[in-house]
Amino acid sequence: MRVLEPWLAEPLGELVRESSARLALVMTSSGQVVGQHGFTRSLDVMAAAALGAGILATTGELARLVGSSSDFGAVVHHGAQQGVWLAGFDTPRGRWVALVVFGRNSTVGLVRMFFQRFAASVREVAPVPVPDREVLAEGFERELDASLRALFGGG
Amino acid sequence: MNPERWQRLLDDATAISGVRGAIVVSAEDGLVVHEAAVEGLETSDVAALASVVVRRAESIATASGDSQVRLCTLTAENGTVIAAQGEHGLWLVAVTEPDVELGRLRLMLGVLAPALG
Repeated sequence: MRVLEPWLAEPLGELVRESSARLALVMTSSGQVVGQHGFTRSLDVMAAAALGAGILATTGELARLVGSSSDFGAVVHHGAQQGVWLAGFDTPRGRWVALVVFGRNSTVGLVRMFFQRFAASVREVAPVPVPDREVLAEGFERELDASLRALFGGG
Repeated sequence: MNPERWQRLLDDATAISGVRGAIVVSAEDGLVVHEAAVEGLETSDVAALASVVVRRAESIATASGDSQVRLCTLTAENGTVIAAQGEHGLWLVAVTEPDVELGRLRLMLGVLAPALG
């Protein structure tokens, strides 16, 4: 498991452990990854994050079209061997998205239950957001490299 | 599958003294299909956890050569959870107080659950 900020490790670890998740991804609603479990290639993480954020944005728009006052709570794709749980949740850092891939040793109900606990835990332990810093061109690449190292290891 | 019939079955189950609530659960996905529960019972959590217990019990039964699980009973300090197998992957789950008439409830769930389908 890799996280961008240490306080996320415990809630994400509990979500993965208790729901028997194969893969888990936590990202901002714009698709920036803040934590992951089970992915081994950075390209896979980036693709999953972009697709997950896109699916949630699409279903949110669909909800609006059908007259729902808020977006759908979660999107579930259920396959023969594994399922995908995708849901947004509010944090002190803004709206985040969790993507959980689970196998036949888990259930939608179980993932849903531990996702709710995870979201509550993140809300509780997430530090108060700091004001955005100005992004300077010379620091951007260095910060991006540091984030990728934190999420995937390596030099 | 008939929600009105499910409601009658759940009403019969919850009519037994000491039963806090009863739920029809889909063991495949751990979700509540129908419920008749008292206030304060997190039925979605009960359904999620009960489905795991049922599936584990089925795995144990398969491994030990007995392919069917009909009834699971979990007794704890503050109450009991009983799950009885119905049709189409549905289970009838009852959550009780510690002083429930357990024998009567087990018998009743065994009779009611097959009628879920």
